[in-house]
Amino acid sequence: MYRSQKLSLRYYTAAVTLFGVMILFGLLSALYYLYPSMLFNVFNFSTSKILHIDTLVLWLLMAFLGAVYWYLPKELEHEVVGMWLAELTFWVFCAVIAVVAVVFIFVQYGPANDFTLWFINQGRKYVEAPRWATIGVVAVMLAFAYNVIATCVKARKMTGIMWVLALDLIPLVVVYLDAFSYDRNMSTDLYWWWWLVHMWVESTWEVLIGCIMALVLMDVMGTSRRIVEAWLYIEVMLVLGAGILGLGHHYFWIGTPQYWLSIGGFFSALEPLPLLGMVVHAIYDAGSHRLKTTNRPAFFWITTEAFLNFIGAGIWGFMMTLPQINLFTHGTQWTVSHGHFAFYGAYVCGVIAVFYVAKQKTSRAGMLDGRAWKWSYALLNIGMVGMVMGLLLAGMAQAFFGRAIGGSTLMAFTTASENPWFVSGMYARMLFGLLFAAGYVVLVYDLLTSPKRVATLAMQPEPA
Amino acid sequence: MTPAALLETAVLLGLFVLAGGGYGGLYSIGRIAARPALVRAGYVCWMVALAIALTITLATPLGVGWKLLILASALVYAVIPPMTWRFLERTHTDEGLGA
Amino acid sequence: MTNENGDTARAGLGGDLADPIFWRAGAISTTVVMLIILAFLTADSYRYISVGGINVPKYDVINQHIGYQFDWSRHADVPVIGSSEPLFGNTVTEAQAAELIRKGKLVIQSRACMDCHTFFGNGAYYGPDLTKSWLDPAWEQIWIPMTGKATREDAMVEFLMHPDQYPTWNRRMPNLHLTEDEAHATVAYLKWMSAIDTNGFPANFGPAGKQP
Repeated sequence: MYRSQKLSLRYYTAAVTLFGVMILFGLLSALYYLYPSMLFNVFNFSTSKILHIDTLVLWLLMAFLGAVYWYLPKELEHEVVGMWLAELTFWVFCAVIAVVAVVFIFVQYGPANDFTLWFINQGRKYVEAPRWATIGVVAVMLAFAYNVIATCVKARKMTGIMWVLALDLIPLVVVYLDAFSYDRNMSTDLYWWWWLVHMWVESTWEVLIGCIMALVLMDVMGTSRRIVEAWLYIEVMLVLGAGILGLGHHYFWIGTPQYWLSIGGFFSALEPLPLLGMVVHAIYDAGSHRLKTTNRPAFFWITTEAFLNFIGAGIWGFMMTLPQINLFTHGTQWTVSHGHFAFYGAYVCGVIAVFYVAKQKTSRAGMLDGRAWKWSYALLNIGMVGMVMGLLLAGMAQAFFGRAIGGSTLMAFTTASENPWFVSGMYARMLFGLLFAAGYVVLVYDLLTSPKRVATLAMQPEPA
Repeated sequence: MTPAALLETAVLLGLFVLAGGGYGGLYSIGRIAARPALVRAGYVCWMVALAIALTITLATPLGVGWKLLILASALVYAVIPPMTWRFLERTHTDEGLGA
Repeated sequence: MTNENGDTARAGLGGDLADPIFWRAGAISTTVVMLIILAFLTADSYRYISVGGINVPKYDVINQHIGYQFDWSRHADVPVIGSSEPLFGNTVTEAQAAELIRKGKLVIQSRACMDCHTFFGNGAYYGPDLTKSWLDPAWEQIWIPMTGKATREDAMVEFLMHPDQYPTWNRRMPNLHLTEDEAHATVAYLKWMSAIDTNGFPANFGPAGKQP
């Protein structure tokens, strides 16, 4: 095993841990809707929510870093350059996250001054971490970029996948610099904030997971490099072709000109189309390679990614993206429904596949299968679908009663929040959230336990 | 837009993409499993998607431009699965890999 | 023709389409074109979103009455800037207003308001959207009587400083220990924000905003 692959395992461990923290604070956040007096003035919804959404970003990011460190030396046939730096920055990353979390939990907020922004809470969604921590994250990402680029240079070898990955790192790091911003003008603040949020999860992260999936497909299904590269370029072309101006679907209501309603709505409406292509591709691979996979959980999770990405991002997104609809659905539980489903389908499924690739390698299992992964697969998927449907119900009630009928005042918001459909949706979300949490526990158990030795007659050579 | 039209339109839009996805899924499963009945079921799904697109055009208060976009999308959905399939077969055949 | 991987492309359309190099060109050109368009649109959007721009008034708009009325030509609700209505009875200069707004934004960030509430619909969904909260009828209907204050802005300050003493409904706002200055600045921020043209979001906002 390469030294950087050992680092991958540490990143995966940290990622899975943060996944658990995310679920914990997700459950807590959901509970406030059912028991609003809970922990009043002691631990507010906002603090719980910050921990939930920030760990979401961080655990996925750590999993991506781990996946790149895993495949980089294999791609370039050269140990990663600057491993001492990579190993150091891993611990720096963990320490930064831990300190920020402790301050969020025990200090929570501060007075309206620069000290608060630098050391306690910056209060901008997803990037609430104080500025000192933002510097830490930038340092970690720059070190990561150095590892990637320096290895490419030293190895004197580049592949198409590595080119896409390396180039993708530039906007990935650059748009993160918005996390430092303090702008008193809410319109310009949000304008650039969306460059960070959208250009991460609907552009650079999509390219990054595309690169990782390309590497996983070659590994798990033996797909040829030529094919995955062609697909990666097609995916980049379609996803960025629709996604760069699809950024405009966040520019309907923040003070931007009216033409964004047309531009954003149009390009956003195109976004499901490449996802349909991915579904077709996934079915083709599932059918034609079915007998040739040695890693059944990874195989199932990759295939599921294509489907749930289409449904969560494609169907759910399309329901609410046209401006005439979005006017009423924007900033409701409908958005929450879409957000959960899209993140899960686009990223979580693929990342879990990556964990199973590592499990197979570390356990030296010729064929990875078993019972536990099927339980966790079922619980996580049923849990997520149930949560999303509950949130959709609540969101529809909110858009209908609170926005369309009620006109978005405080009374309208209150009325919608007490509507029986809304409340039922929140209970359903809680119930299915618990199922999802159970699925997570089984996932962790499965990843940590050694697979039974499965003797097969037609055993494939161990993946490289 | 009335509150009722809001929910109806949003649901129709979601069902439109779902039908498009159903077409892609059934077509692909039918092709890979060599089951023409599933491929035909896929075509039926696409016709449902087209019917939904027409319903959106005739019965929702969306603007003309958006209705044209949805109708055009229905046509694009028609070609994506077979075109993607042909591309997949061609690239895998080139590599000497059969389906 | 041999590409960088050493593969030889076959003659004919099928061979070219299978060649990653063809799609790489597509990926690069599409990305570049879209980014250039985005750059132009960003530059143009700044004419609207910068302070004093087409959609975002200067900070001293807090000296005026702000309304919200349906504009048939745009098929959307738009802010209406009216006659003089100084906030807290004080007419402020542009510089003073800018300082109030600066402080208000610091409050909003330091207390992570965006993690319970939404601004232009962005944020968290536990508390109500604050885009037009300055125009919310609840201030006149509920909080002026409840707090015993004479004006909307004074009631808002009282609420923001002691939200736990003025329950909304079963979902209450916690006390975030705002000082009086911070509360004043936050109210100024909310008043300024309600004057931004948001293409009609939120739609059909409550009756108070529609009064001339």
